[in-house]
Amino acid sequence: MTAEIRDIAIFTTVAALAATAVMLVPGVAIAWLLARRRFPGKAIVETVVSLPLVMPPVATGLMLLWLFSRRGPLGALFDRIGIEIVFTPAAVVIAMSVMGLPLLIRTARAGFEQVTRRYEQIAETLGAGPWRVFSTVTLPLATRNILAGAMLGFSRALGEFGATIVVAGSIPGRTRTLAVGIYSFTETGQDRQAAILLVISVSIAFVAVLASNRMAREA
Amino acid sequence: MTLLLRWLVLAACLALAPRADAQGRGASNRQVVVSAAVSLTEVLQQLAPAYQAKTGDRLVLNLGASNTLARQISFGAGADLFISADEAQMNAVAAYIDPATRVDLLANQLAIAVPDDRPRTMMSARDLLDPAIRRIAIGDPAAVPAGVYARQYLQTIGIWSDVASKLVPAGSVRLALMAVESGAADAGIVYHTDVATAAHAREALLIPSTNGPRIVYPAAVVRAGKNPEGGRRLLAFLGSPDAIAVFTRAGFIAPVPVRN
Repeated sequence: MTAEIRDIAIFTTVAALAATAVMLVPGVAIAWLLARRRFPGKAIVETVVSLPLVMPPVATGLMLLWLFSRRGPLGALFDRIGIEIVFTPAAVVIAMSVMGLPLLIRTARAGFEQVTRRYEQIAETLGAGPWRVFSTVTLPLATRNILAGAMLGFSRALGEFGATIVVAGSIPGRTRTLAVGIYSFTETGQDRQAAILLVISVSIAFVAVLASNRMAREA
Repeated sequence: MTLLLRWLVLAACLALAPRADAQGRGASNRQVVVSAAVSLTEVLQQLAPAYQAKTGDRLVLNLGASNTLARQISFGAGADLFISADEAQMNAVAAYIDPATRVDLLANQLAIAVPDDRPRTMMSARDLLDPAIRRIAIGDPAAVPAGVYARQYLQTIGIWSDVASKLVPAGSVRLALMAVESGAADAGIVYHTDVATAAHAREALLIPSTNGPRIVYPAAVVRAGKNPEGGRRLLAFLGSPDAIAVFTRAGFIAPVPVRN
Protein backbone atom coordinates (compact mmCIF):
# COMPACT_ATOMS: atom_id res chain seq x y z
CA MET A 1 0.00 0.00 0.00
CA THR A 2 1.52 3.29 -1.09
CA ALA A 3 1.60 6.45 1.02
CA GLU A 4 -0.92 8.00 -1.36
CA ILE A 5 -3.44 5.20 -0.80
CA ARG A 6 -2.88 5.25 2.95
CA ASP A 7 -3.45 9.02 3.05
CA ILE A 8 -6.70 8.67 1.07
CA ALA A 9 -7.99 6.07 3.56
CA ILE A 10 -7.02 8.21 6.57
CA PHE A 11 -8.40 11.42 5.07
CA THR A 12 -11.72 9.76 4.20
CA THR A 13 -12.12 8.34 7.71
CA VAL A 14 -11.21 11.63 9.40
CA ALA A 15 -13.51 13.62 7.11
CA ALA A 16 -16.40 11.21 7.76
CA LEU A 17 -15.81 11.47 11.51
CA ALA A 18 -15.74 15.27 11.25
CA ALA A 19 -18.95 15.18 9.19
CA THR A 20 -20.60 13.01 11.85
CA ALA A 21 -19.57 15.49 14.54
CA VAL A 22 -20.89 18.38 12.45
CA MET A 23 -24.28 16.73 11.88
CA LEU A 24 -24.76 15.53 15.45
CA VAL A 25 -26.03 18.70 17.20
CA PRO A 26 -28.31 20.03 14.44
CA GLY A 27 -29.42 16.48 13.63
CA VAL A 28 -30.46 15.68 17.19
CA ALA A 29 -32.10 19.11 17.60
CA ILE A 30 -34.16 18.74 14.42
CA ALA A 31 -35.05 15.13 15.28
CA TRP A 32 -36.32 16.23 18.71
CA LEU A 33 -38.31 19.13 17.23
CA LEU A 34 -39.95 16.82 14.69
CA ALA A 35 -40.73 14.21 17.35
CA ARG A 36 -41.97 16.48 20.12
CA ARG A 37 -43.15 19.80 18.75
CA ARG A 38 -45.81 21.11 16.45
CA PHE A 39 -44.96 24.23 14.53
CA PRO A 40 -46.03 25.93 11.32
CA GLY A 41 -44.15 24.56 8.32
CA LYS A 42 -43.28 21.29 10.06
CA ALA A 43 -44.22 19.27 6.98
CA ILE A 44 -41.88 21.44 4.90
CA VAL A 45 -38.97 20.96 7.32
CA GLU A 46 -39.66 17.21 7.40
CA THR A 47 -39.53 17.10 3.61
CA VAL A 48 -36.48 19.30 3.17
CA VAL A 49 -34.32 17.34 5.60
CA SER A 50 -35.18 14.13 3.74
CA LEU A 51 -34.45 15.52 0.28
CA PRO A 52 -30.76 14.51 0.15
CA LEU A 53 -31.88 10.88 0.65
CA VAL A 54 -33.94 10.83 -2.52
CA MET A 55 -32.33 13.46 -4.73
CA PRO A 56 -29.53 12.41 -7.05
CA PRO A 57 -26.36 13.13 -5.03
CA VAL A 58 -24.95 15.01 -8.03
CA ALA A 59 -27.91 17.39 -7.86
CA THR A 60 -27.22 17.97 -4.16
CA GLY A 61 -23.60 18.62 -5.11
CA LEU A 62 -24.63 21.15 -7.75
CA MET A 63 -26.80 22.99 -5.22
CA LEU A 64 -23.90 23.05 -2.75
CA LEU A 65 -21.57 24.29 -5.49
CA TRP A 66 -24.01 27.03 -6.31
CA LEU A 67 -24.41 27.98 -2.63
CA PHE A 68 -20.73 27.89 -1.72
CA SER A 69 -18.96 29.01 -4.88
CA ARG A 70 -17.59 32.53 -4.83
CA ARG A 71 -20.50 33.64 -7.02
CA GLY A 72 -23.13 32.00 -4.78
CA PRO A 73 -24.93 33.54 -1.77
CA LEU A 74 -23.00 31.74 1.02
CA GLY A 75 -19.74 31.57 -0.91
CA ALA A 76 -19.81 35.34 -1.42
CA LEU A 77 -20.03 35.83 2.36
CA PHE A 78 -17.15 33.44 3.02
CA ASP A 79 -15.14 35.03 0.20
CA ARG A 80 -15.46 38.41 1.87
CA ILE A 81 -13.78 37.08 5.03
CA GLY A 82 -11.22 35.22 2.97
CA ILE A 83 -12.49 31.67 3.47
CA GLU A 84 -12.66 29.28 0.55
CA ILE A 85 -14.99 26.31 0.65
CA VAL A 86 -15.26 24.80 -2.82
CA PHE A 87 -12.42 22.37 -3.68
CA THR A 88 -11.18 22.31 -0.07
CA PRO A 89 -11.40 19.56 2.58
CA ALA A 90 -14.15 21.68 4.18
CA ALA A 91 -16.27 21.06 1.09
CA VAL A 92 -15.77 17.30 1.55
CA VAL A 93 -17.05 17.53 5.14
CA ILE A 94 -20.01 19.70 4.10
CA ALA A 95 -21.03 17.29 1.32
CA MET A 96 -20.72 14.31 3.66
CA SER A 97 -22.73 16.06 6.41
CA VAL A 98 -25.58 17.03 4.11
CA MET A 99 -25.81 13.51 2.72
CA GLY A 100 -25.60 11.83 6.14
CA LEU A 101 -27.90 14.17 8.05
CA PRO A 102 -31.26 12.68 6.88
CA LEU A 103 -30.25 9.22 8.13
CA LEU A 104 -29.26 10.59 11.53
CA ILE A 105 -32.46 12.65 11.82
CA ARG A 106 -34.77 9.78 10.87
CA THR A 107 -33.18 7.32 13.27
CA ALA A 108 -32.89 9.78 16.16
CA ARG A 109 -36.47 10.96 15.64
CA ALA A 110 -37.75 7.39 15.95
CA GLY A 111 -35.75 7.17 19.18
CA PHE A 112 -37.34 10.32 20.63
CA GLU A 113 -40.80 9.12 19.64
CA GLN A 114 -40.25 5.89 21.57
CA VAL A 115 -39.51 7.76 24.79
CA THR A 116 -42.61 7.52 26.96
CA ARG A 117 -44.16 10.97 27.41
CA ARG A 118 -45.11 10.08 31.02
CA TYR A 119 -41.48 9.99 32.16
CA GLU A 120 -41.00 13.50 30.84
CA GLN A 121 -44.25 14.66 32.46
CA ILE A 122 -43.23 13.16 35.80
CA ALA A 123 -39.92 15.04 35.62
CA GLU A 124 -41.84 18.21 34.83
CA THR A 125 -44.19 17.79 37.82
CA LEU A 126 -41.11 17.32 39.99
CA GLY A 127 -40.02 20.77 38.87
CA ALA A 128 -37.51 20.07 36.11
CA GLY A 129 -37.24 22.73 33.38
CA PRO A 130 -37.46 21.82 29.70
CA TRP A 131 -33.66 21.57 29.26
CA ARG A 132 -33.28 19.42 32.36
CA VAL A 133 -36.10 17.13 31.18
CA PHE A 134 -34.40 16.82 27.82
CA SER A 135 -30.88 16.24 29.09
CA THR A 136 -31.68 13.92 32.00
CA VAL A 137 -34.72 12.00 30.72
CA THR A 138 -35.32 12.23 26.97
CA LEU A 139 -31.74 12.23 25.69
CA PRO A 140 -30.47 9.28 27.77
CA LEU A 141 -33.49 7.19 26.75
CA ALA A 142 -32.89 7.96 23.07
CA THR A 143 -29.11 7.50 23.16
CA ARG A 144 -29.04 4.13 21.45
CA ASN A 145 -31.02 5.42 18.48
CA ILE A 146 -28.90 8.54 18.25
CA LEU A 147 -25.75 6.39 18.20
CA ALA A 148 -27.24 4.11 15.57
CA GLY A 149 -28.21 7.17 13.52
CA ALA A 150 -24.73 8.62 13.87
CA MET A 151 -23.30 5.29 12.73
CA LEU A 152 -25.58 5.31 9.68
CA GLY A 153 -24.64 8.91 8.92
CA PHE A 154 -20.96 8.05 9.29
CA SER A 155 -21.28 5.09 6.92
CA ARG A 156 -23.11 7.22 4.40
CA ALA A 157 -20.41 9.87 4.69
CA LEU A 158 -17.66 7.30 4.09
CA GLY A 159 -19.18 6.28 0.79
CA GLU A 160 -20.32 9.69 -0.39
CA PHE A 161 -19.44 10.29 -4.03
CA GLY A 162 -21.84 12.33 -6.15
CA ALA A 163 -22.00 15.50 -4.09
CA THR A 164 -18.33 15.33 -3.12
CA ILE A 165 -16.94 15.15 -6.64
CA VAL A 166 -18.97 18.20 -7.70
CA VAL A 167 -18.30 20.51 -4.77
CA ALA A 168 -14.88 19.25 -3.60
CA GLY A 169 -13.41 17.72 -6.73
CA SER A 170 -10.80 14.98 -6.75
CA ILE A 171 -7.61 16.79 -5.79
CA PRO A 172 -4.86 14.32 -4.86
CA GLY A 173 -3.67 14.84 -1.31
CA ARG A 174 -6.37 17.42 -0.62
CA THR A 175 -9.95 16.35 -1.34
CA ARG A 176 -9.64 12.88 -2.86
CA THR A 177 -11.71 10.39 -0.83
CA LEU A 178 -12.06 6.60 -1.18
CA ALA A 179 -15.16 6.76 -3.37
CA VAL A 180 -13.93 9.64 -5.51
CA GLY A 181 -10.48 8.04 -5.73
CA ILE A 182 -11.91 4.75 -7.03
CA TYR A 183 -13.70 6.70 -9.75
CA SER A 184 -10.72 8.90 -10.68
CA PHE A 185 -8.28 6.01 -10.75
CA THR A 186 -10.63 3.92 -12.90
CA GLU A 187 -11.27 6.80 -15.31
CA THR A 188 -7.58 7.44 -15.75
CA GLY A 189 -6.63 3.79 -16.23
CA GLN A 190 -4.89 3.35 -12.84
CA ASP A 191 -6.68 0.09 -12.16
CA ARG A 192 -4.26 -1.16 -9.50
CA GLN A 193 -4.82 1.85 -7.25
CA ALA A 194 -8.57 1.59 -7.82
CA ALA A 195 -8.50 -2.08 -6.83
CA ILE A 196 -6.60 -1.36 -3.60
CA LEU A 197 -9.08 1.39 -2.65
CA LEU A 198 -11.91 -1.03 -3.45
CA VAL A 199 -10.53 -3.61 -1.02
CA ILE A 200 -10.13 -0.91 1.67
CA SER A 201 -13.72 0.25 1.11
CA VAL A 202 -15.09 -3.27 1.41
CA SER A 203 -13.10 -3.82 4.61
CA ILE A 204 -14.30 -0.61 6.25
CA ALA A 205 -17.91 -1.26 5.22
CA PHE A 206 -17.68 -4.83 6.52
CA VAL A 207 -16.48 -3.69 9.94
CA ALA A 208 -19.08 -0.88 10.11
CA VAL A 209 -22.01 -3.16 9.25
CA LEU A 210 -20.76 -5.86 11.62
CA ALA A 211 -20.49 -3.32 14.44
CA SER A 212 -23.90 -1.77 13.82
CA ASN A 213 -25.55 -5.22 13.60
CA ARG A 214 -23.99 -6.17 16.92
CA MET A 215 -25.18 -2.88 18.42
CA ALA A 216 -28.72 -3.54 17.17
CA ARG A 217 -28.71 -7.06 18.62
CA GLU A 218 -27.66 -5.78 22.04
CA ALA A 219 -30.42 -3.17 21.95
CA MET B 1 -28.79 31.76 -10.32
CA THR B 2 -28.71 31.79 -14.10
CA LEU B 3 -25.80 29.39 -13.93
CA LEU B 4 -27.75 26.99 -11.73
CA LEU B 5 -30.71 27.29 -14.05
CA ARG B 6 -28.53 26.50 -17.01
CA TRP B 7 -27.27 23.36 -15.32
CA LEU B 8 -30.76 22.31 -14.35
CA VAL B 9 -31.98 22.83 -17.90
CA LEU B 10 -28.98 20.92 -19.20
CA ALA B 11 -29.65 18.11 -16.75
CA ALA B 12 -33.32 18.04 -17.76
CA CYS B 13 -32.37 17.89 -21.45
CA LEU B 14 -29.94 15.05 -20.82
CA ALA B 15 -32.58 13.17 -18.87
CA LEU B 16 -35.29 13.61 -21.48
CA ALA B 17 -33.27 13.33 -24.69
CA PRO B 18 -33.18 9.54 -25.17
CA ARG B 19 -36.92 9.19 -24.62
CA ALA B 20 -37.70 11.88 -27.19
CA ASP B 21 -35.42 10.05 -29.63
CA ALA B 22 -37.06 6.72 -29.08
CA GLN B 23 -40.54 8.08 -29.66
CA GLY B 24 -39.79 10.34 -32.58
CA ARG B 25 -38.17 7.84 -34.92
CA GLY B 26 -39.38 4.79 -36.72
CA ALA B 27 -37.53 1.53 -36.38
CA SER B 28 -36.52 1.60 -40.06
CA ASN B 29 -33.81 4.20 -39.45
CA ARG B 30 -30.42 2.89 -38.45
CA GLN B 31 -28.62 4.61 -35.69
CA VAL B 32 -24.96 5.54 -35.59
CA VAL B 33 -23.41 5.83 -32.16
CA VAL B 34 -20.44 8.15 -31.92
CA SER B 35 -18.31 8.30 -28.79
CA ALA B 36 -16.77 11.74 -29.07
CA ALA B 37 -14.53 13.99 -27.00
CA VAL B 38 -16.79 16.30 -24.96
CA SER B 39 -15.11 19.36 -26.49
CA LEU B 40 -16.95 18.47 -29.72
CA THR B 41 -20.42 18.67 -28.09
CA GLU B 42 -21.79 21.78 -29.79
CA VAL B 43 -20.29 21.21 -33.26
CA LEU B 44 -21.56 17.65 -33.42
CA GLN B 45 -25.01 18.76 -32.27
CA GLN B 46 -24.87 21.39 -34.98
CA LEU B 47 -23.82 18.88 -37.64
CA ALA B 48 -26.25 16.13 -36.63
CA PRO B 49 -29.34 17.38 -38.55
CA ALA B 50 -27.37 17.73 -41.81
CA TYR B 51 -25.91 14.26 -41.40
CA GLN B 52 -29.29 12.75 -40.62
CA ALA B 53 -30.89 14.50 -43.60
CA LYS B 54 -28.13 13.31 -45.90
CA THR B 55 -27.92 9.66 -44.86
CA GLY B 56 -31.11 8.88 -42.97
CA ASP B 57 -28.95 7.55 -40.14
CA ARG B 58 -29.91 8.68 -36.70
CA LEU B 59 -26.93 10.11 -34.83
CA VAL B 60 -26.56 9.16 -31.17
CA LEU B 61 -23.94 11.21 -29.34
CA ASN B 62 -22.05 9.67 -26.44
CA LEU B 63 -19.96 12.57 -25.16
CA GLY B 64 -17.34 12.47 -22.44
CA ALA B 65 -13.68 12.80 -21.62
CA SER B 66 -11.77 10.79 -24.23
CA ASN B 67 -10.17 8.62 -21.55
CA THR B 68 -13.63 7.74 -20.21
CA LEU B 69 -14.81 6.86 -23.71
CA ALA B 70 -11.68 4.81 -24.36
CA ARG B 71 -12.31 2.85 -21.18
CA GLN B 72 -15.91 2.22 -22.23
CA ILE B 73 -14.71 0.94 -25.61
CA SER B 74 -12.07 -1.27 -24.04
CA PHE B 75 -14.78 -2.73 -21.79
CA GLY B 76 -16.70 -3.64 -24.93
CA ALA B 77 -19.07 -0.67 -25.29
CA GLY B 78 -20.63 -0.60 -28.73
CA ALA B 79 -19.85 2.69 -30.41
CA ASP B 80 -19.59 2.89 -34.19
CA LEU B 81 -17.13 5.77 -34.30
CA PHE B 82 -14.65 7.06 -31.73
CA ILE B 83 -13.30 10.60 -31.87
CA SER B 84 -10.59 11.15 -29.27
CA ALA B 85 -9.07 14.45 -28.22
CA ASP B 86 -5.60 12.95 -28.17
CA GLU B 87 -3.56 10.19 -29.74
CA ALA B 88 -2.84 8.46 -26.44
CA GLN B 89 -6.48 7.52 -25.87
CA MET B 90 -6.91 6.37 -29.46
CA ASN B 91 -3.75 4.29 -29.10
CA ALA B 92 -5.16 2.84 -25.88
CA VAL B 93 -8.03 1.26 -27.85
CA ALA B 94 -5.89 0.26 -30.85
CA ALA B 95 -7.06 -3.35 -30.47
CA TYR B 96 -10.72 -2.33 -30.68
CA ILE B 97 -10.71 -0.10 -33.75
CA ASP B 98 -10.33 -0.63 -37.47
CA PRO B 99 -6.83 0.85 -37.99
CA ALA B 100 -7.39 1.38 -41.72
CA THR B 101 -10.11 3.95 -40.94
CA ARG B 102 -8.04 6.00 -38.47
CA VAL B 103 -7.55 9.62 -39.50
CA ASP B 104 -6.62 12.85 -37.78
CA LEU B 105 -9.91 14.69 -38.06
CA LEU B 106 -9.18 18.03 -36.40
CA ALA B 107 -6.66 20.10 -34.51
CA ASN B 108 -7.22 22.47 -31.60
CA GLN B 109 -5.40 24.94 -29.35
CA LEU B 110 -5.24 25.47 -25.62
CA ALA B 111 -6.50 28.60 -23.91
CA ILE B 112 -6.62 29.99 -20.40
CA ALA B 113 -10.19 30.78 -19.32
CA VAL B 114 -11.18 33.04 -16.43
CA PRO B 115 -14.58 33.75 -14.81
CA ASP B 116 -16.43 36.56 -16.59
CA ASP B 117 -16.89 38.56 -13.37
CA ARG B 118 -13.11 38.78 -13.06
CA PRO B 119 -12.02 39.13 -16.68
CA ARG B 120 -8.34 39.68 -17.37
CA THR B 121 -5.90 39.20 -20.16
CA MET B 122 -2.64 37.40 -19.67
CA MET B 123 0.61 38.09 -21.43
CA SER B 124 1.75 34.52 -20.91
CA ALA B 125 0.84 31.42 -18.95
CA ARG B 126 3.39 32.58 -16.38
CA ASP B 127 0.66 34.93 -15.17
CA LEU B 128 -0.84 31.82 -13.55
CA LEU B 129 1.85 32.28 -10.89
CA ASP B 130 0.02 35.47 -9.77
CA PRO B 131 -1.07 34.95 -6.12
CA ALA B 132 -4.53 36.26 -7.07
CA ILE B 133 -4.96 33.02 -9.03
CA ARG B 134 -5.50 30.56 -6.22
CA ARG B 135 -7.05 27.62 -8.07
CA ILE B 136 -6.47 26.48 -11.62
CA ALA B 137 -8.86 23.92 -13.09
CA ILE B 138 -7.49 21.50 -15.66
CA GLY B 139 -8.47 18.07 -16.94
CA ASP B 140 -7.02 15.30 -14.77
CA PRO B 141 -3.41 15.27 -16.03
CA ALA B 142 -3.27 11.53 -15.41
CA ALA B 143 -5.36 10.84 -18.53
CA VAL B 144 -7.90 13.49 -19.55
CA PRO B 145 -6.43 14.79 -22.85
CA ALA B 146 -6.91 18.50 -22.06
CA GLY B 147 -5.14 17.93 -18.74
CA VAL B 148 -2.31 15.99 -20.36
CA TYR B 149 -1.81 18.81 -22.89
CA ALA B 150 -1.94 21.39 -20.08
CA ARG B 151 0.69 19.50 -18.11
CA GLN B 152 2.93 19.21 -21.17
CA TYR B 153 2.64 22.92 -21.80
CA LEU B 154 3.26 23.95 -18.18
CA GLN B 155 6.27 21.62 -18.10
CA THR B 156 7.60 23.08 -21.35
CA ILE B 157 7.50 26.63 -20.02
CA GLY B 158 8.92 25.43 -16.72
CA ILE B 159 6.16 26.34 -14.23
CA TRP B 160 4.53 22.92 -13.70
CA SER B 161 5.96 22.38 -10.22
CA ASP B 162 5.27 26.01 -9.24
CA VAL B 163 1.56 25.80 -10.01
CA ALA B 164 1.07 22.13 -9.00
CA SER B 165 -0.39 23.05 -5.60
CA LYS B 166 -3.03 25.28 -7.26
CA LEU B 167 -4.29 22.67 -9.70
CA VAL B 168 -7.78 21.24 -9.47
CA PRO B 169 -7.98 18.15 -11.69
CA ALA B 170 -11.39 17.64 -13.31
CA GLY B 171 -12.95 14.58 -14.92
CA SER B 172 -13.27 16.29 -18.27
CA VAL B 173 -12.31 19.56 -19.91
CA ARG B 174 -15.91 20.75 -19.62
CA LEU B 175 -15.95 20.11 -15.89
CA ALA B 176 -12.79 22.22 -15.63
CA LEU B 177 -14.57 24.94 -17.58
CA MET B 178 -17.61 24.63 -15.29
CA ALA B 179 -15.35 25.15 -12.29
CA VAL B 180 -14.15 28.39 -13.87
CA GLU B 181 -17.67 29.52 -14.76
CA SER B 182 -18.92 28.99 -11.21
CA GLY B 183 -16.02 31.06 -9.90
CA ALA B 184 -14.75 28.09 -7.89
CA ALA B 185 -11.53 28.17 -9.92
CA ASP B 186 -9.84 31.47 -10.74
CA ALA B 187 -8.52 30.17 -14.04
CA GLY B 188 -8.67 27.04 -16.14
CA ILE B 189 -6.68 25.56 -18.97
CA VAL B 190 -9.15 24.35 -21.59
CA TYR B 191 -9.42 24.27 -25.35
CA HIS B 192 -9.78 27.51 -27.26
CA THR B 193 -13.05 26.13 -28.70
CA ASP B 194 -14.51 25.50 -25.23
CA VAL B 195 -14.31 29.10 -24.11
CA ALA B 196 -16.65 30.24 -26.89
CA THR B 197 -19.33 27.85 -25.59
CA ALA B 198 -19.16 29.23 -22.04
CA ALA B 199 -21.67 31.83 -20.90
CA HIS B 200 -19.66 32.84 -17.82
CA ALA B 201 -16.02 32.52 -18.84
CA ARG B 202 -13.69 34.66 -20.93
CA GLU B 203 -10.46 33.84 -22.70
CA ALA B 204 -7.49 35.38 -20.92
CA LEU B 205 -4.85 33.88 -23.17
CA LEU B 206 -4.77 31.84 -26.35
CA ILE B 207 -1.89 29.39 -26.48
CA PRO B 208 -1.44 29.12 -30.25
CA SER B 209 -0.54 25.76 -31.75
CA THR B 210 2.74 27.29 -32.90
CA ASN B 211 4.13 27.36 -29.36
CA GLY B 212 1.73 25.02 -27.57
CA PRO B 213 1.37 21.26 -27.61
CA ARG B 214 0.30 19.60 -30.86
CA ILE B 215 -3.38 18.84 -30.33
CA VAL B 216 -5.05 16.45 -32.77
CA TYR B 217 -8.37 14.61 -32.71
CA PRO B 218 -7.94 11.15 -34.22
CA ALA B 219 -11.12 9.34 -35.32
CA ALA B 220 -11.64 5.68 -36.18
CA VAL B 221 -14.42 3.16 -36.70
CA VAL B 222 -14.89 0.90 -33.67
CA ARG B 223 -15.05 -2.82 -34.42
CA ALA B 224 -17.56 -3.70 -31.70
CA GLY B 225 -20.11 -1.28 -33.17
CA LYS B 226 -23.42 -2.54 -34.55
CA ASN B 227 -23.26 -0.27 -37.58
CA PRO B 228 -19.70 -0.04 -38.94
CA GLU B 229 -20.98 1.14 -42.32
CA GLY B 230 -22.72 4.03 -40.57
CA GLY B 231 -19.48 4.74 -38.71
CA ARG B 232 -17.65 4.98 -42.05
CA ARG B 233 -20.33 7.20 -43.55
CA LEU B 234 -20.21 9.49 -40.54
CA LEU B 235 -16.42 9.67 -40.66
CA ALA B 236 -16.52 10.59 -44.36
CA PHE B 237 -19.18 13.20 -43.66
CA LEU B 238 -17.16 14.78 -40.84
CA GLY B 239 -14.17 15.08 -43.18
CA SER B 240 -16.22 16.76 -45.93
CA PRO B 241 -15.61 20.45 -46.73
CA ASP B 242 -19.07 21.37 -45.40
CA ALA B 243 -18.40 19.78 -42.04
CA ILE B 244 -14.87 21.19 -41.86
CA ALA B 245 -16.38 24.64 -42.44
CA VAL B 246 -18.58 24.15 -39.37
CA PHE B 247 -15.62 22.94 -37.34
CA THR B 248 -13.43 25.89 -38.32
CA ARG B 249 -16.24 28.34 -37.58
CA ALA B 250 -16.31 26.88 -34.05
CA GLY B 251 -12.58 27.55 -33.73
CA PHE B 252 -11.18 24.12 -34.60
CA ILE B 253 -8.35 23.80 -37.10
CA ALA B 254 -8.26 21.43 -40.06
CA PRO B 255 -5.32 19.16 -39.27
CA VAL B 256 -2.01 19.58 -41.02
CA PRO B 257 -0.58 16.22 -42.07
CA VAL B 258 2.54 15.39 -40.09
CA ARG B 259 5.68 15.08 -42.18
CA ASN B 260 7.96 12.28 -41.16
